[in-house]
Amino acid sequence: MNRRLFLGQSAALIGTTAGMNKLALASKKTKAHVIVVGAGYGGATAAKYLRMLSNEGIAVTLIEPNGEFISCPLSNLVVGGSEQMAAITTSYDGLPSKYGIKMVKGRVDKVDASKKTVTTDDGTTLSYDKLVLAPGIDMNFDAIEGLTQANRDGVTLQAWKAGPETVALRKQLVDMPDGGVFALAIPLAPYRCPPGPYERTCQIANYLKENKPKSKIIVVDANPDVSSKGKLFKQAWADLYDGFIDYRPAHRVTAVDAKTKTIKFEFEEDLKADVLNILPPMRAGNIVRDTGLANMNDRWAEVTFLDFASTQAKDIHILGDSIQTAPNMPKSGHMANQHAKVAAAAIVAEINDFPVNPQPVVTNTCYSFVNGSDVVHVASVHQYVPDRATFIPVKGAGGLSPAPNKLEGVYAWGWAKNIWADAVA
Amino acid sequence: MKRDFGSVRSGPLKRLSATVVLVAAGFATPAMASGDKVDPQFVYNSSLAATCASCHGTNGVSVADARVPWINTLTPQEIAKAMLEYKNGTRTGTIMPQLAKGYTVEQIEIIAQVLGKK
Repeated sequence: MNRRLFLGQSAALIGTTAGMNKLALASKKTKAHVIVVGAGYGGATAAKYLRMLSNEGIAVTLIEPNGEFISCPLSNLVVGGSEQMAAITTSYDGLPSKYGIKMVKGRVDKVDASKKTVTTDDGTTLSYDKLVLAPGIDMNFDAIEGLTQANRDGVTLQAWKAGPETVALRKQLVDMPDGGVFALAIPLAPYRCPPGPYERTCQIANYLKENKPKSKIIVVDANPDVSSKGKLFKQAWADLYDGFIDYRPAHRVTAVDAKTKTIKFEFEEDLKADVLNILPPMRAGNIVRDTGLANMNDRWAEVTFLDFASTQAKDIHILGDSIQTAPNMPKSGHMANQHAKVAAAAIVAEINDFPVNPQPVVTNTCYSFVNGSDVVHVASVHQYVPDRATFIPVKGAGGLSPAPNKLEGVYAWGWAKNIWADAVA
Repeated sequence: MKRDFGSVRSGPLKRLSATVVLVAAGFATPAMASGDKVDPQFVYNSSLAATCASCHGTNGVSVADARVPWINTLTPQEIAKAMLEYKNGTRTGTIMPQLAKGYTVEQIEIIAQVLGKK
């Protein structure tokens, strides 16, 4: 067999830099040290694959403020009540015990790109040879008047980073009187998990239909239309939840009045609700912005897609939701997991002084539950195109489910269990 | 410390600048042990096959209660055949016909070699 490997002629052109050679030399004496900030779908996967792909030749420290991994995907089922938090929570214990990763519980408050150090919230400073930033998104509460305080007080909730707010939003839904209004506000794209708000709409409606039939959910969407799986969601809303969902596109929230539980818009009349689930505009994790790496409108970080290196600082790689994505590349947990593998392979190559893979590929798979058991998917495959120096979706590949179905409900849970294990176990 | 990370296999890459590399030769040697020099071919092939791990598990091995079709019971030939049939439209499925169309034939063959039962 004379199969030509995807390592083609272009590999020779990528070559090495002086910096990489220096790193390679350093690693012969002591192991190169990579610090990964954030143990979500992207960061935890990067840490694990850095160890695997380097044959444990790289020392990896993974810094994460949370004590366990709580998945955003499937967290809408907890809000809707068909699942509990335990079902979407995974221990980090396997990362140190099986892969020799040093886990540090803490938040990175400062990166010094010139000294190549990070400082955590307890004042500890650690040095790196390479840094991977995977902090996910942070919320721009200040973009909506009154929201910072309202969310701090729990009058409004985002529950978009799964965790305590997921539980709190579930409680507010359960405590809402029958006949009440649940308001869900969706920011303009791009935001984390494009179909997520519409899946949440299904889960809330599913709960209302079974438990509070005089109630409804009003969805106020800054986007001109349902921005992911639109036909499938609208069909599900019509088939399953007729009368429970009031969808209002092109509604951009400008302010919230916590006292009267009222949402104000750019043009439309105010909306008063019993439960206020307001998703603010999102942007790269604070550490990315604070380090000066969110060079796209102070919002997202530009990277080179062969290795997910920041274009703004040497030896810093950024992956997951914080980056300015390639065309039609969603901000999803699955995609962050895929970024991580490309980045880890590239970092291993750079540290060991051989060329970075010139033709990486990434996929996206996203399952959404329209009730407790029926699911629709969207999928895509993105090949790196050297001429354009970015990932481009392959034409004719990817697509949607024809309709909600139970088989993909089973696969969705299978996906979840395997990707959680791939990332953190 | 020595850990077995699974069934990913690799072999020496003789000349990195070579434009043609025999993939088959790359699978002739056993999995690398901890501390071995890192082989570029191992990194490229493993990271390509790792695109499948998000749904099918690390190294293609599903966790016990993950009810997606398990692929680690298949030989490299069986994996390649299934993927190529998904790609050319002669095999039906939910998501795999859509995903397989995004990979090149060469990538499919490498993935099958890495993830298939040895």
